[in-house]
Amino acid sequence: MCAASKKPAEAAFAPLLQFEMDMGTFLSDWQHCDQLSTFMARMISHNRTDPIRHSNFFSFALNELLEISFRGGSPEGRIDCIVYRRDLMERVKLSFTCPSGQQEFYREAVSRTHQEDAFSRYLGAISTDQTPNREVILLDLAINFDADVRLEERAPASITFVVDLPLERAIN
Amino acid sequence: MNTTVFSSPFNAEFDVNSQEFSLAGVIRPRSVDEIAASISVLKEAIDDVRGVLYINVKRLVQMNNTAFQAFARVVLDACRSRSDLSFVVVTSSVVGWTERMFRHLNRIEPRVTVEVYDSKFYPGQAFVEDTSFIPILRTQTKMTWRHERTILPRHGMRPGVVMADICCGIGDFAMLVKKEFQPTRIVALDHSKASLAYARDMAASFGIADIEYTYGDASEMLLEDNQFDLVTCRHSLQIFNRPTVLLKELYRICKPGGRVYITNEKNSHCLGEPRSKSIQWTYNEVAKLFSHFDMDVELGPKSRRYLVDAGFDDILMESFMVTNLDGDPQDFADVIAAWENVYAGEMAMKRGDPPEFMERFRQGFSDHIFAALHPKGYAGWPIWAASGRKPP
Repeated sequence: MCAASKKPAEAAFAPLLQFEMDMGTFLSDWQHCDQLSTFMARMISHNRTDPIRHSNFFSFALNELLEISFRGGSPEGRIDCIVYRRDLMERVKLSFTCPSGQQEFYREAVSRTHQEDAFSRYLGAISTDQTPNREVILLDLAINFDADVRLEERAPASITFVVDLPLERAIN
Repeated sequence: MNTTVFSSPFNAEFDVNSQEFSLAGVIRPRSVDEIAASISVLKEAIDDVRGVLYINVKRLVQMNNTAFQAFARVVLDACRSRSDLSFVVVTSSVVGWTERMFRHLNRIEPRVTVEVYDSKFYPGQAFVEDTSFIPILRTQTKMTWRHERTILPRHGMRPGVVMADICCGIGDFAMLVKKEFQPTRIVALDHSKASLAYARDMAASFGIADIEYTYGDASEMLLEDNQFDLVTCRHSLQIFNRPTVLLKELYRICKPGGRVYITNEKNSHCLGEPRSKSIQWTYNEVAKLFSHFDMDVELGPKSRRYLVDAGFDDILMESFMVTNLDGDPQDFADVIAAWENVYAGEMAMKRGDPPEFMERFRQGFSDHIFAALHPKGYAGWPIWAASGRKPP
């Protein structure tokens, strides 16, 4: 699948919250992933049907995405995260700088979340691997959070994940 | 011997008596090395036990994939090396992703099963979560609110307060508080999805949009420590089989210097005139009936002891009597009729009480209604309100 070929319907999603940070600062402390995901989740969940549980689910998903950018990002440039909403869906758009050449890795990893063998790949990974790789994390979001994961490629040394999370439906 | 590893903000613990390894809190390590001590506790637990090892993740608030995969790997390896051992992962229905993630382990190793901990684990929940009870709960709140609106300010209620109403039921108390005291924030938690749905509908129809109704288990709440100026929990410790566990959670989420406010009854002290003896006999039996289902509806006067034992100071306690003279006596009579339906029609039936007992048991409720509606009668329902301060 060509990840970039799918154009998200941006106009239909309303922006809720955005943070932008120097990658060097972001990468200076692992706790930033937890702190940012917890804060963002609380803020955007306050008017969901069950704010506490929505926040818990959303924080899980966003933290995993931030951990991917932490592990795969490079210290130059900026990390930019925007959360949008449309009806029962939240969209996370996460851009960060990464070493050149990683786009191909992410393109394949994202592509696998849409393939028929995604679930067996996921089971195989948690059955045998000691630690999760970035592909398994994307599979986890697709399988356990019903996420639709896509890529936008804006610049050679950066990556942009677009992740749609139908959490309101999953929770209620 | 029990083993506990604390590594803020989570803990891992093994209780050898119940063969249970539990994980609680937020576990988001950068590498497996950061949780090596907890992994060791799990491995030692596996070495210690025979038969079944329970893995309790009910209080697991967050876990990243690094931690999940590390713990999962230990469990799956044990399945392969120990044919005598099986695992039961106990998750909460509140934190849905734990069930989704851990259930996959069963696909890999059938000896790993997942149990979802929810209301069926509580002996009395089925009775109190019955939706047929909803209209009468509204009437009860209307009757108690006449008293509590003047009592609450003495127990820490004030405009601008950040509060949680735990075991909020159909949410009517939270709405009355919202209108009367204008708190900055109210979180209202309950374990009945039907009651919460009713609460949300009612709030929407009254144009109230900022009460955070949330599904949760009062004994294992997702809410963080030290958040609320005031935590209310009304008529709930008495129908919970482990009131000290619930009180510990109320204490945890209360800010230092904040207060926890509880109300409870002493059912055997319900009274009425005329026909007082019949009424008294029936309510004594009500107390015994609840006790049969591990609930203590005599808890009201014990509130002070519970609060002291839970670590609160500056305990305030008072009692009030809801009576047939408070408003429309028919409201009082309707509440008694609803109690009869649940206590005699469901609980005593379930206990298997004989017809002669049932007849006398029901007579007391009829007499209480008679007293409530009698032009010269008096009928009462006593309630104890108590609060304690979490030491600053």
